[in-house]
Amino acid sequence: MTRLLLRFFPAAWRDRYGDELSDLVSETGVSPRVAADIARAGSAERIRAARVALKGGTSMIFAPAWRHPTAWAVAGAIVLVPTLTLVVLAALRTTVAPVDDLLNSQRYLDLALVLGPAFAALLAALPLVRIGFTHIDGGSEASLSVRLRAANVVVVVIGLGVASLLVGHILFESVMQIGA
Amino acid sequence: MTDFQNQNPNDPGLLLMISLASGPKHGHAMLLDVEHFAGTRLGPGTLYGALSRLEAEGKVEPLPVEGRRRPYRLTPAGRTSLNDRLASLQRAVEAGVARMSA
Repeated sequence: MTRLLLRFFPAAWRDRYGDELSDLVSETGVSPRVAADIARAGSAERIRAARVALKGGTSMIFAPAWRHPTAWAVAGAIVLVPTLTLVVLAALRTTVAPVDDLLNSQRYLDLALVLGPAFAALLAALPLVRIGFTHIDGGSEASLSVRLRAANVVVVVIGLGVASLLVGHILFESVMQIGA
Repeated sequence: MTDFQNQNPNDPGLLLMISLASGPKHGHAMLLDVEHFAGTRLGPGTLYGALSRLEAEGKVEPLPVEGRRRPYRLTPAGRTSLNDRLASLQRAVEAGVARMSA
């Protein structure tokens, strides 16, 4: 658990202080409050490291999900399932009354279903991108690495496709309503 | 004039420097000491986040590991910084007390 929480901190920070912080946590014990404190402090440390790197202090690589790309693709696929199911049902002109009632009564659920595919695409795309900031000869240089992973690309394409379809549908309905 | 943001008496960095003013301590000892003199329970992440910043600023330095624990101590620069901040806080406290009793 502590090892997982330590991942909130940048790798260089973990190399220097990770063992000491783990020892301290083993003495204090892990509670929700301690977990939240480590997550907050780790995030703050990442922001600080990013600021230092952008000022040319050190090199920094921003790759939020470079490891375990398949897990991120699976997470994206899971987020995509509810919207995709409804889209397929709608395409087959099949309605499920309880689901329709729920969607009509919960406005934010509707919004979540529309935003779901875009979020799924983002989750699957994160492991494909790595941004580096390097300090060379008094100047800063940014580099972007992109890789392709079949599972991630499939989820990104489906997610963006469904999101575009829904946005197009909403815009079309809005225009038709204004016209009427 | 010192930066007002640095005058927060509950700033973890300030609390850690006050703790180290009485001598070198490791993380857990600092945690207990701060809780004892300030009544504030620092989280482990907050403590090490502040400690790493103080070390980066040259205000504290690590000592050789003792068992599994690494003690830290104030550097001369840290002691000067702590003196300045305490003096500034003291001026604010004295002004506040004087105005409240006027």
